[in-house]
Amino acid sequence: MTQVDVRQKVLADNAAAAAALRGRFADSGTLVLNLISSPGSGKTTLLEATVRALAGRLRLGAIEGDIATERDADRLRKLGIPAHQILTGGGCHLDARQVRGALEQHDLGPLDLLFIENVGNLVCPTAYDLGEDFKVALLSVTEGEDKPFKYPGIFATAEVTVVTKADLLPHVPFRLDEVRGQVAALRPGGTLLVTSATTGEGVAGWCALLEERLARKRAAAG
Amino acid sequence: MHELNLATEIHRTCRATIEARGPGRLDSVRVAVGELSAVEPELLVYAWQAVVAGGPDAGATLEVEWHAARQVCEACGEREHEPGDWMRICPDCGRPLRIEGGNELDVVDLTYTPDGQEAAT
Repeated sequence: MTQVDVRQKVLADNAAAAAALRGRFADSGTLVLNLISSPGSGKTTLLEATVRALAGRLRLGAIEGDIATERDADRLRKLGIPAHQILTGGGCHLDARQVRGALEQHDLGPLDLLFIENVGNLVCPTAYDLGEDFKVALLSVTEGEDKPFKYPGIFATAEVTVVTKADLLPHVPFRLDEVRGQVAALRPGGTLLVTSATTGEGVAGWCALLEERLARKRAAAG
Repeated sequence: MHELNLATEIHRTCRATIEARGPGRLDSVRVAVGELSAVEPELLVYAWQAVVAGGPDAGATLEVEWHAARQVCEACGEREHEPGDWMRICPDCGRPLRIEGGNELDVVDLTYTPDGQEAAT
C-alpha cells in the first residue's frame, strides 16, 4: 500500500470556477448577488418587484436555479429582463460551474446587476461560492421566527438578510425583534431589511442598497 | 443533501491523484471536515459508500478528521461551545467573537495499492 499526501480542497474545482467568474464580473463592473432561501419564501417575487423598481435605471439580468420548470425565468423575462434557467434535475444547490455554463450558453448582455437565484434550500447552497459579491438570505414571516438559529450557516454567511411578506405580520406569530436579535448574533454588522412585495414596503430601501453596493464596487475598481 | 456531490468530488480527486502515479486501486482516504463546513460526517460516509460501490474502488474507506471551530472573545478568552453553535457574539460580554478554523473541507491524504502489488499488502 502506498500513502500519498493530497492536501487539496474538496471544492477546489468550484473555487477555481468561482474565482474566474468573480474576475469576469469585476471586468464587466457587474454586481452579483446569490439569493438563498427556503422554497416559497418569495425570491422570485422580490426580484419581480426589484425589476419593476429599477428597470430603465439599471441593466438587470438573472440566472434562476430550480430542480424543474422554466417558470421563474419566464416570470422575469415577462418583465423584460434577460433570464437563464438552470435545471438541476434534483440537485439541491447551484455550483460555479453551472453558472459558468449558463453564461456560456446564454449571453445575458452587459449588466449592472446579476441576480443568481439559488435552488430553494437553506442548507446546501451555503457551501458553494458562485463568484458573487455577496449572499442574500431571504426569510418570509410565515416560516417562523426561529429560522436563523435553526439554519445558522446561511444567516451567518449572508451579508444581507431580507425578511419578506411583511404585509402578513399582523396574521402570524413572528416577532421581528427576535429575528433581528438572532441575525445580529450570527452576523454582527450584517444588514437586515423588512420588505413586502405586495405593499411595496422596504423595496425602495432594498433597491437603494443594491445601487449603493454597485456604486461602491465600481468606485473601488477605479 | 450535497454530501453525494462532495463524495463524488473526493473520489475524483483520489482518482486523479492515483492516476498521476500510475494505475492502482484506492484503499482509503482521509478528509478534514470543519464544524462550519455544513457537512454531516455520517452522511458523507454513506454517500462515499454509494459513490465507490460497484466500481474499481469498491470497499475503499473514507475517514473523517473533524475540526472544531474556536470561538475567541477578546475580553473573556476562548469560549467552550456545543458543536454546531454559530454564535458570533460573546454571551458573557456581548463583544463580537473571533472564529478560528472550522471551515476545513479538504482531502488530506490517501492510501492505494498500485496494480500488480496486491499480494504485497
